[in-house]
Parts: sequence; structure tokens; C-alpha cells
Amino acid sequence: MSQPLLPDVAPPEDQTFGDIVWLQFKKNRVAYCSLWGLAGLFLLAIVAPLIASGRPFIWDAGEGMLFPWFSGLFDRNYYENPVDIFFNLLLILAVPSALFAAWRYRSIKAIGLDKRPRRARIIKEVRYGVLAVLAIFVGLLFNPHSEAYTQYADIVEARAEAGEATTAVFPPVRYMFRKTGFKSLESPSAKHWLGVDESTRDVAVRLLYGTRISLTIGVIAVGIYVTIGIILGALAGFYSGKVDILIQRLIEIVMSIPALIIILTLVAFLEKPSIFHIMLVIGLIRWTGVARLVRGEFYRLRGQDFVTSAVALGFPPWKVIFHHILPNAMGPVLVAATFGVAGAILLESTLSFLGLGDLSAPSWGQTLSEGYSSGAWHLILAPGFAIFITVSLLNLVGEGLRDALDPKMRK
Amino acid sequence: MLNYVIKRLFLMVPTFAAISLVIFVVLNFAPGTPGGTAATGEAGGQDASTAGEQRESYRIFKEQFNLDKPVLFNTRFDLGRPEIEAELSAILNESGDVPPARRIEAQEDIENWGRYAVPGLLSVLSDTSVSPGMRALASQRLTFNAQRQNKNVFKKNLSDEERAEVKAIAKANAVVRAWSFKADATPEAMRDTTSEWNSWFTANEPDFSYTFGERIEIFFFDTRFARYWYNLARLNFGVSHVDKRPVLQKVISKLKYSITLSFSSVLLIYAISLPLGIWSSIRQNTLADRVVTTILFMLYSLPSFFVAVFMLNLLTRGTPLQIFPTSGFESLDTSQMTLLEYFKDVGWHIILPIFCGSYAALAALSRYARSGLLDVIRSDYVRTARAKGLPESVVILKHAARNGMIPILTLLASLLPTLIGGSVVIEVVFGIPGMGSYLFESINLRDYNAVMAVMLISSALTLVGMLISDLSYALVDPRITFE
Repeated sequence: MSQPLLPDVAPPEDQTFGDIVWLQFKKNRVAYCSLWGLAGLFLLAIVAPLIASGRPFIWDAGEGMLFPWFSGLFDRNYYENPVDIFFNLLLILAVPSALFAAWRYRSIKAIGLDKRPRRARIIKEVRYGVLAVLAIFVGLLFNPHSEAYTQYADIVEARAEAGEATTAVFPPVRYMFRKTGFKSLESPSAKHWLGVDESTRDVAVRLLYGTRISLTIGVIAVGIYVTIGIILGALAGFYSGKVDILIQRLIEIVMSIPALIIILTLVAFLEKPSIFHIMLVIGLIRWTGVARLVRGEFYRLRGQDFVTSAVALGFPPWKVIFHHILPNAMGPVLVAATFGVAGAILLESTLSFLGLGDLSAPSWGQTLSEGYSSGAWHLILAPGFAIFITVSLLNLVGEGLRDALDPKMRK
Repeated sequence: MLNYVIKRLFLMVPTFAAISLVIFVVLNFAPGTPGGTAATGEAGGQDASTAGEQRESYRIFKEQFNLDKPVLFNTRFDLGRPEIEAELSAILNESGDVPPARRIEAQEDIENWGRYAVPGLLSVLSDTSVSPGMRALASQRLTFNAQRQNKNVFKKNLSDEERAEVKAIAKANAVVRAWSFKADATPEAMRDTTSEWNSWFTANEPDFSYTFGERIEIFFFDTRFARYWYNLARLNFGVSHVDKRPVLQKVISKLKYSITLSFSSVLLIYAISLPLGIWSSIRQNTLADRVVTTILFMLYSLPSFFVAVFMLNLLTRGTPLQIFPTSGFESLDTSQMTLLEYFKDVGWHIILPIFCGSYAALAALSRYARSGLLDVIRSDYVRTARAKGLPESVVILKHAARNGMIPILTLLASLLPTLIGGSVVIEVVFGIPGMGSYLFESINLRDYNAVMAVMLISSALTLVGMLISDLSYALVDPRITFE
């Protein structure tokens, strides 16, 4: 007769650190709702051409049926900016990839793996999926497709006057953000929900497409500086000694140059800054905070047993740094990155408000600067609130994340 | 402590040098032409002589500001004939397939090489086997490149010696300027001019052969950066490319506005945020605390340029209200005012800028103050203070707040650079002629020296701010020492 060594209780649920943080985050209603708000904003950025585009979904002017909306999604003559091409790609891929992902999820589940290996498998496949999308995007960038610019809406009117029938199914708004020719500074009306700007363009459509610009700038600029910061911070924290001193000096030098001033100067000195220049400049200047954070985390973690054992097992330094220590140091970086996206969006709007941004991109700051020069209320309030809402959503998510990661806040 | 301060101050010197190097390199390698487009002398559609004169005045402009020099290292003492010939043939464009951008670049190169190009040019000129067009161009270039820089020509109050030197250089340059010929000149004329040049070169030979020591000197010191540092060490930030006035003087004249603005902002921020933070932390989780925290959070997320434009439109332009003046630091005519009236006038002008420039920091600082106090309010020593029977106000203000406010105090140091540098956006929106708007103007006009000066001054202040921040920790918290 054998006595069980342990009382017969159910094994504790296998919770990863990520699970705990996520549960904690979900408890914070405001932050959780803000995350959904951000998702909504992102969705809005993706579906912008479904709402406003000068190209009809279906077009028949007596010469057979055409689908200009679809063929125009990757048209570099119509969407000049690679950012728009990328979001259009996401729009096209959204439904097929969701179906594909659902099918893959079911088949992985059918294998019957445990929780952790199943997750690893899913993460691996998601990684391949992201790489595939990026590969298609790069392919599209290097094979620019362009079509002659056609004013479909005008053709419909001209043909109607001539008494000819045209079959055309347009998106709800029949023009996109570059369309000019409306009454300058017209106040909001049923036709133009947020009015018309000084340069005779529809504000609502510009703000809609501006969502794409702002989100991209925020995410990519922060992506650049988080990468730089992680690499330098990890090197300084892991190796210490001379490497640390050198990197510390470098951080001190870059930190002492006022960020806004140097970013302003650099962007102004570029003859025609594109939004990619702006992202790059922000990314190259603002990495110091992340580097210091990562360095501190590495100092804290370096002496712990799991690191010692990884080193003792003979793993190469890069593997210890990136596979063993870094995942444990990512929490604070994630929080800093969330606040950083908000900061980068603010910076970009400041630049375009001062007239130093990318003039061809429909930036929110640009509309606000027209509001400043013309004094029209709708040009001040609409972009101002767009920036305010985006920035507060990001800040709220960042705060929620910080609280969720803080063991002191856990109950 | 003193040792630590001295050590830090010494460490600051190399850091500052590195900062200046970074800024300098970044500015000088950035595209764009100094002095704005007006100075480039690219006059389209004008007759050749005016264009030539403009070109020459642009060359002298570059020479005066050291813009013809390489940025960091100078290897021009090694310029030989092949490089010169390549540039000359690009300018001549005999084959007709040189792109215009390359021609302009070649012309700039030859111009910037100055006297370093003389031996190479002379060797092209003396070689009878090259085309007459090339020889003519070489002779024309020589008339510019062989001239010596007349450094003191724009200086006021010259001494007699200096005046004599200026005259001598001008005379020598005038002689050299005459020795050129056109492509269709007779062979005799070409030969005569060439022999003139050759005899001139033999007379001035020592100027063009460089010893090893001279080469090292040229390599490191005949560069833009070395020249800039030479002046910087004498606190000479150079003169503005735009109006030729000393930059430092202009910066100092702008300080009055920025300091007034930032100083009152900082006072306001601390005067409101500390009490507010303490007030809301002792009412933690009450309705009042939640309302205040939410409002502060919203303020913190509101972009300042939006608030500035909003206030401007709401309160100054008469749409609908016109309470405050639209822009500027003071009224146009302040000469008739008494001191009190003047203060009132300035105050009236800067209320809005101060509000717009400080609400974000105010919100951030209040949040810091609140969480700083919450960190300590449950600690043992505060409980002990209460148990001793001290009144609540003493417990909070004397025991808890002093400890909880340490992080806030040190934040003051990080405000130092903005104290001088001002806020670009706020100053531009409200038309305050401070450092921020000066920087913005200078950036738009490509006034390198001005931008450099503002950046260097604010970087230096940031360094000082960091030191003060570290020191203030030790001053406030006796547990921290630097020994």
C-alpha cells in the first residue's frame, strides 16, 4: 500500500509570464479598451481605400467590365507612398490570410500538442507568415506598377450629360486624399464631414489616410531605435568593462544633444524629406533611453543562475544574450516602446506642423498648420483631436502595460 | 564630493568635444548650401560677366567661412595632375555626355581646392599636347586658384602693418588675375602666358611644396572642423552667414525672451504641481483624486502645438474672443511705459505662451509627485511619525514629502536646457523672438554658424544639467555619496 507523497490536487495551470501579464492587463478596463481602440484605428488605416477612393470597384463604360479599384491598389501613380502600398497589401490579404490562419490553427490543434510546444509552433508559423507578407511587399516595391491617371467620377458625369449610361460602383467617397478642387476653407457639411482645407482638399479623407502615415511613423521609428537600443544596451550590460564604458560615453554624447533640435535641423536640411527620412532620423537619435534601460536589465540579470548555466553549457555569447537574457529584459522595453510610439507620432506632427515634414504625405500636423495660418476652426480641431486620441490611446496602453508588468501591483 | 565634481568637469571636456564633432559632421554632411540659395551665385539668364562676378563673390564667401575646406581631414596637398585633368575635362565637356550635376560638382571641386590645385593646373597648362580648350581653361582657373586669401580685408580698424599686407596681397592677386587666354588664342600668346605662369611658379615655389610636418598640419588643421574649434576655443562662434553679425551677440540678445518665458514656466510648474501631487496622493482613490488624475493624464497627452493654436485662435484672433495680443513679447512701442506698465504689458503677452509651454510638464510633474509620495507614505518611518502623535500636516509635509520629492527636485536639472533653448514650437506659434524661433529661422536660412551655436550651447547646458542632477541627489539624500 502506497501513500501518495503529495495530496491529490490538480496540477497548477501552466501559466507563462506572458499569460500572467496579459490577465493582469485585461483587468485594467481602460487600458484594455484602449488596446481595442488602437486596433480599431489600425483597421481604419487598412480599410481607407474601401471608404474613399477615386476608383470604382466595378466599371463599365461600354467597353467591357473593368475593376479599377483592385488593379489600382498597387498603382504607384495613384498611391505614391510605399506606406499606402503596404496597407493596401494588408487590405487585400486580410480575408484570405484570416481564413488560412484559421485553417492552420485548427490543424495545429488537431496534432494534440501541449500548451507550450503548441504555442511555439504557432509563433513559428506566424513568423513565416509575416516574412511572406514582407517578401511580397518588397517584391511590389521593386516592381512598381503604374496606370494612367483617370478621373472616373468626372467621366461618369460627362457621359451622363452626353446621355450615355455608365455602370460604376464607387466606394462611399469618390475621391482620395490628393483630390483638390473643392471650395477652399469650406466648413463641415454633409458632403465634406470635416470641411475642406486651404489647399481645397477634403479634410476627412486626409485624416483617414493620415492615420496610415502616423501609425507607420510611430511603429517604424520606434522599431529602429528599439533595435539599436537593445543591441547597444545588451552589449554594454553583458560585457561591461571597456565595451560598457565606450557605449556609456556614446549614450551620454547622444543624450546631451537636445533631441528635438537635432531632429528638426536634420529633417530641415534634407532637401525633400520623405516620411522614411523622418523615421530614420527619429530612430537614429532617440535610442538612448532604450539602451540605458536594456543595459540596466542586463546588469540585473547577468549574475542570475540561468545565465551562468547557459554560459557553462557553452552557448555562444550571442545566444546567451538574445535567447536567454533578452526575453527576460523585454518587459520594460515594451512599455518604453509603447510610450515611444506616441512620442514619435507627436514628433512627426510637430515637424509637419512647422512645415518641415513630408509635403506629399497627408500628415495630421500639416492640416493643423493650415489651421494655424488660416484660423479656420475645423482645420484646428479635427487634426488636433486625431493626434490627441491616438496619443492618449497609446499612453493608456503603455500605462496599463507598465502596471501589468509591475509585480507590486499584482493581487 | 569636490573631487567628484572636478572629475566630472574634466570628463565633460572630451564629451563636449565629441558632441561638437558629431553636430559638426552631421551639419556639414547634410545636403543643402550654407547661406541659403541666394548665396550660390547660380544666376540663370544673366550675362556672362555678372554671372562670373557672382561666382567670384561666392568663392570669396566660401573662403571667408572656410566652406571651401574639407570637413575633417585634408589630403589636398597630394592633388596631382590626374585629378585636376579629370575635373577640367568634366567642366569642358568635350564629349558632350557629362551630366550637368557632375559639371557643377567639378567646378565646385576645382574652386574649393584653391591653391592646392595650382601645381596640377600649371602642369596641364604647360603641356602642349593637351587640347587648346583645356589649356585655356587651366589658365583661366589659375587666375582664381593662384590668388591668395586676403583674410583681413573685411576687418575693421586695421593696423598699419596689416593694411600694408592687405594691399600687397591685393596687388599680387591683381597681377595674377590678368594672365589668362581663350581657347582660340594664338600659340605665341599661349606660350607667353605659360612662361609668365612658370616664372611666377618658380618664384613662389616654396608655397607649393610641403614638408612632412606641413602635410600633417594641413591634414588635421586646414579643415573646417579645426578652424571652427580654433575659434570656438576663444568663445568665438563665428558670424551669421546671413547678416554677417556675430552669432554669440545675437544669441545673447535672444536670451532675455527665452529666459523670461522659461523661468516663469518653471516657477509655475513647481508652484502648482507639487501641491497638486501631494493633495491628490493623500486622497488616493477618492473621486477627487480620480478626476484630477484623469485631467492630468489628458493634459499630458494633448499636443502642445495643438493647444497653442487652439488658444491663439480662441483668445487672440477675435474668433470669437480677442483678449490677448496675437504675437510678440511686448507691445511695439514700449518707450513711453513706466516699469510697472512694461511688466504688465509683457505679462499680458506671455500668459498664453507660458500656459501652453508648461501644462504638459505640469501634468507630468504632478503625476511624478503623486507617485513619489505614494511610494513613501506607507513606509515605517511615516507610521512612526504618526504614532508619535505628530499632526498630519507635519507627517505629510515634513516627513513624507521631503523624501518623496527627491525625484522631482532632480528633474529641475533636466529643465535647464529648455530654460535657455526655449521651446521652438511655442515661440514660433506665438511669435516670441527668443532662442527657439531664432533656431527655427536659422535652420530655414541654412545659417550653419547660428545653428551650431544654439545646438552647442544647449548641449553644454544639458551636460551641466546632468551634473547638477547627480549632485542634487547627494545634496538631498544623505545616503548617497560619491566616495
